Amino acid sequence: MKADVNPYVPKSATVVAVKNESLETKTLRLRLYNWKAEFLPGQFVQLLLPGVGEAPFCIASSPSEQKHLDLTIIRRGLVTIASHYMRPGDVVGIRGPFGRPFPVSRMLGKDLLIVGTGIGIAALRSLILFIVEHREEFNEVNLLYGARFPEDLVYRDEMKSWTDKMNLMVTLSKASPEWGGLRGRVTDHLNGVVKGEGQVAILCGSPLVMRSVAGELLGRGIKTDQIFVSLERHMKCGIGKCARCIIPGGWHVCRDGPVFSLDEISLDSIGE
Amino acid sequence: MIRVKEGDLLRLPSILGEMGYRVIVPTEGNGVTKFADFTSGARMKLDYVRTINSPRDFLLPDGEVLYRYRSTATVTSYGLKIRFPTVEGPCPVTINAEYTAPTERLAFFAIHPCHANSIRYLDRVMLSDPADPYYMARREKMFLAVLECEEGDDYCFCVPAGSWKLEGDHCDILIRRSEDGFLLQPRSEAGERVASRLDMPAEDIPFEERPPKMRGSFSIRASEVEIDRGGVEGLDSCTLCAACTVTCPTCYCSDIEDRFHLVDPSNVERVRRRMSCQRRCYSMIAGGSIFLKTKEERYRWRLKHKFPFSVKAFGIPGCVGCGNCIAFCPAGIDMRRTVGSEQNEG
Repeated sequence: MKADVNPYVPKSATVVAVKNESLETKTLRLRLYNWKAEFLPGQFVQLLLPGVGEAPFCIASSPSEQKHLDLTIIRRGLVTIASHYMRPGDVVGIRGPFGRPFPVSRMLGKDLLIVGTGIGIAALRSLILFIVEHREEFNEVNLLYGARFPEDLVYRDEMKSWTDKMNLMVTLSKASPEWGGLRGRVTDHLNGVVKGEGQVAILCGSPLVMRSVAGELLGRGIKTDQIFVSLERHMKCGIGKCARCIIPGGWHVCRDGPVFSLDEISLDSIGE
Repeated sequence: MIRVKEGDLLRLPSILGEMGYRVIVPTEGNGVTKFADFTSGARMKLDYVRTINSPRDFLLPDGEVLYRYRSTATVTSYGLKIRFPTVEGPCPVTINAEYTAPTERLAFFAIHPCHANSIRYLDRVMLSDPADPYYMARREKMFLAVLECEEGDDYCFCVPAGSWKLEGDHCDILIRRSEDGFLLQPRSEAGERVASRLDMPAEDIPFEERPPKMRGSFSIRASEVEIDRGGVEGLDSCTLCAACTVTCPTCYCSDIEDRFHLVDPSNVERVRRRMSCQRRCYSMIAGGSIFLKTKEERYRWRLKHKFPFSVKAFGIPGCVGCGNCIAFCPAGIDMRRTVGSEQNEG
């Protein structure tokens, strides 16, 4: 058996740049040697830090840039904390890309509502960059990004270039007095941006927020097959063999997801 | 069909061993029956009902090394220090993963039809695209001699689960008890080859499938809603020991982790360890959120994975009705009360 058919063996990549996004978040830019990652927005990779372990991350870079991958990582566990010690030049392993991407073909020509909270925006960045590059193929695009503190906001410098192409709303639930933007949770600001039937909604963020946003959108007439959520589970294998990412309904998040439409899963399977 | 005496049948493991197989036989010891490697002095037991382990433990061994690689970890006076391998300039340094596909040829002797069907389920899981290369390498060279079961014990329910019947190629030799010995039916080319080594004449005896005797009968009703609704008596005494998932022949959940040699920590092995849904870390994601918080959720989750989830993802239920999770549960929790209704006791 050759090494290239073994789905457990990672390919090598090198960290070429590390960007501090916020206090807890860094973006690693990985350059791939001798291979290309052909991926679509919403897919994820397994990042192996040699000697530490492996964890899944959604690709945060544009699918048209296939020579490098961006992974935006928040300090949470063993691998993510170790990843914050990486410097340019460090070697990592990458498996993937895995999973079912966002159904871009079903979004063409439609009004889009993208709701991301917290680090969930990292999983949406690939889609956002795709939309920025192909803006004329979509109708009205609203991006609603919620975070807690101003320090938590990521991609701050890029957002200026996004605002030319879409209506970007940033809301903070625990804003400091100097904050001049929107305040409150993302559910407080759905009024102006929800168009009802015909609109496609894409959600990623904390399960609790996704549930309440999804419930709200359903109440305002968006159909279940027009709402897409990107779920998080700790996949170990990425190919449906470890059974760690099964969600109610019997779906494997790694193989059948991480993007699901709400007619496939119930609100309960998003988690809490 | 070959008629053999018990003594001749017991020659089969050594014949398989001579053919280069690693032969796994049911052995007796410490009060339980257990599958173990065949040795010349092994205390083989053919009239067993249940075993504490299953073919899964050989096809998907706990602690299997997926591959090895070198890291730049060093041991310092204050413990293990990990430095990431760093490239100076454009020269690509790669993670050179070294791995060897398993080469052993497994032969299971005298396993019951429920265990043969558990292999059928594992095939569906592990050989679905993309196939697991380690399982596939073992599975392709495997030999299976199945011994039919006459009668189940208090915990068996293979007839309601439908797994007493053997499907197609999941058996190389079928062994059945008869009045004065055993009947052997080779079912594949490999089976014919092994049976011919016994040098016994083949006879024409009618051979029809018959289910083993069950002590109780019930029907399995195990949709997601029914499992959520089902009673869970006795769950208070569950100790989350995970004996149900350890002894289950179809539990395959796993964890993959890095393992160091403490003497030379730069040698790292990626190891696949068995994982149980009864454990807290099973459903934990980054940040410490847990999806399965209570005993009841984990208990129902195990049953949902066995029945509705497996049917949806792989087309067949993952429970083969061996009853190990009931027989080996120290708290006496009986999943039959949740997924089925007893029709006539005893």
